[in-house]
Amino acid sequence: MSKKDSDIPWVEKYRPKSIKEMALPTARLGRQRINLSEELENFVKHFFEERKKVNIENKEIREFNRTVIEKEQKEEKKISSDIAAVLLEGPPGIGKTSIVYALANDFNMEVIETNASDTRTRSTLERRLKETTKSRGIMDFISESKEKLILIDEIDGIYGVQDRGAIPTVLDLIQNTQFPIIMCSNEYKTNLQPLYNKINRYEVHPLPKNEVIKIANNIIKKENITNLKNEDLELIIDKNNGDLRGVINDIQGICQGKIEGDVRDLILSLHRDNLEEIFTLIRDLFKVSSLKEARDLTDKSDVDYNFLYKWINENLLTFMKSNRDLANAFENLSLADEIFGRIRTTQYWGLLPYFFDLFAGGVALSRKDTPVSKGFQRVVFPRYTSGTYFSLTPAEKEFVEKLKRKYQISQIDFIQDFLPFLKILCGTSRKQLKSVSDWLELDAKEKSLLK
Amino acid sequence: MTEEIPIWRIKYHPKNLDEISGRETVKETLKHIIQQNNFPHLLLVGSNGIGKTIIAQLFSKEFLGKDYNANFKLVYADVPLTDEERKEAKAEAYVSTNKIGSSAGRSITTPAFIQARVKPFVQLKVLGNAPFKILVVKNFEALGSNQQSFRRLMEIYGNNCRMILITTNVSSIINPIVSRCQIILISRVKFVEFKELILYIAKKESLEISDECIEILYRISDSKISRAIDLLQLSSINGNNITVEILYENAQKFHNDLIKSLLLLAFKGDFPKARELSRKILSSYKFSAHEFYRLILIEINNLPLSKFTRIKLINLIADSDFRTLDGRDIDIQISALLSKICLFSEYM
Repeated sequence: MSKKDSDIPWVEKYRPKSIKEMALPTARLGRQRINLSEELENFVKHFFEERKKVNIENKEIREFNRTVIEKEQKEEKKISSDIAAVLLEGPPGIGKTSIVYALANDFNMEVIETNASDTRTRSTLERRLKETTKSRGIMDFISESKEKLILIDEIDGIYGVQDRGAIPTVLDLIQNTQFPIIMCSNEYKTNLQPLYNKINRYEVHPLPKNEVIKIANNIIKKENITNLKNEDLELIIDKNNGDLRGVINDIQGICQGKIEGDVRDLILSLHRDNLEEIFTLIRDLFKVSSLKEARDLTDKSDVDYNFLYKWINENLLTFMKSNRDLANAFENLSLADEIFGRIRTTQYWGLLPYFFDLFAGGVALSRKDTPVSKGFQRVVFPRYTSGTYFSLTPAEKEFVEKLKRKYQISQIDFIQDFLPFLKILCGTSRKQLKSVSDWLELDAKEKSLLK
Repeated sequence: MTEEIPIWRIKYHPKNLDEISGRETVKETLKHIIQQNNFPHLLLVGSNGIGKTIIAQLFSKEFLGKDYNANFKLVYADVPLTDEERKEAKAEAYVSTNKIGSSAGRSITTPAFIQARVKPFVQLKVLGNAPFKILVVKNFEALGSNQQSFRRLMEIYGNNCRMILITTNVSSIINPIVSRCQIILISRVKFVEFKELILYIAKKESLEISDECIEILYRISDSKISRAIDLLQLSSINGNNITVEILYENAQKFHNDLIKSLLLLAFKGDFPKARELSRKILSSYKFSAHEFYRLILIEINNLPLSKFTRIKLINLIADSDFRTLDGRDIDIQISALLSKICLFSEYM
């Protein structure tokens, strides 16, 4: 293996060159099972036939338009949307992008790709794609250049303020395109509804396990990997749950590193599963013995630190028992929280390093009196989320509304002053409870507030 | 009255200005205003739960007469906006491009509270024959820096709508607002008047109550009438003869012991239980963190502690309250406070 070769991610290296050599994921259109490769090949062929037809017609129309006044001019024809574009929808890493590249390779086309790493506002999309889709480049007239295939990857990532106006642009694009468009998306999104109405949406399913094993074994053979046991491979595949890209990445990650000791641990540490990741992260965090270890742990994980420190808050009690440890840990955690709040209000991100060190290392290293437990320790969800706003449950709201018809009271006074009194009053006897609830015309749900 | 109201507090709720016990000078001033059929913006000042709001309401009712329902609104400055109100405020903040002026096509940054709760009311014309509308803003000090935007509001819409601002604390209200208002101080109800009211209720409910009991009632309830009536009703359940013992017993029940038991748990050093209780208190009473600290502070002053301990505890609370101001997670801050008290209790 040349040195340069080893730098390429294997995912890229083993990306299928042709649609024939790739393991095709199963797909559905609506309820109907389809053969994705046939379908896509037909789509491309059909598109170019249609384009040829439409272009000839348009040429005639244009010539006709030149001879008549504006009122009598005919409109130019357009390729209908479902011929011009398709959408592939399925979980990440099952080969949606690969199939498009393989397809382009088969037809000797050039792929023009835009993905979520580009900002896709109206103007950037137009700049990048519209010119390509409409015109046919100056070189097209001189020599027979490659046809193009437009790939809008991760279209469900079009989202938020930055990509404002992108969906209409895409729709516009589809109507005026000179090249076939394939879009990929991970999941159903309501803001893509206008798209779904116009084009065919193929649901692509993950590869079956035996296919994944076949591909993985192929790579293992080619890369001369000897130290990966079969059961470890299966562990990797199970863990990734149909995500072929994840499998290949994991194999590369494990095999290119130094393999000493237990491979199994390494595999498990490469999890992508978020929840399990938090669990292990928290367990590991309380085992660290230096600040650097703690920092490494939080750096490596892609758990959102917004949540992470709440998880730590909830689980501190499991790992620390003595009051001294707890007080020290909470001192650091509360300071971290304060710093985080200040960062958010003042946007002074320079404070962030303190936040990281305090909430992770600062908390974990506060443990002095409590010995490290050998046994398994249960990590729990943050149960208590304190809202910043005063909010009532629906039953409480109903109660106040009913009360307000007879007695003017604010929600805060009701909860803090009046409801406690009513509880005591109604707790004295059933008669009291009945008379109060009858008078206020309460239903069973609101009545239960009084108990 | 056709139906019996089971809650005395509501049953003996004053129906007009005259029924409000005591506060003769205030009542006189307000009646004078009603005669003149005009008044400036008012600022009602007085401590918690002594009847500022009910006075403002009854006054407006008498002032507006039959146009009361259409021209009166009561808003609470400390009740946060609901999501819908927030959305509405955001939508309304946009000035259409059809309009002329530098703000056309932009969104204006009026605080959402005013946009959603105040402006829709004050901008509408007066309905009926009333001289102007009345807007009552309760807990005005809770507006904080949003008070500034009230200044112009009071001038621009002053002709259309008079405001009655209610607060517990004049010093937390910015000067420009104070200078735009006539201040009316509302005092606590005096014992004589309190006694009159209690005797009236006792007569109606055929209770027997001694002067001594009334005095104790006055003290326990902190001269807050609604609380005193609540207590009286509770005490009357077991018999018509109210004695000192019954009063105390019920006051005990009534008195919020949760904070005290929370502190005692912390003093014992039982952090897990203390945290559990603090969460329970916060979720059932929906205190703001600041309110919660204030209650703990009050409780600490009531508990028999040495002066050293007390000052140390106050120090801890102050630190925690201070951090909550900037922090994002109330639970972390309160847990931190409790854990520190737990640790401190080992040296107490």
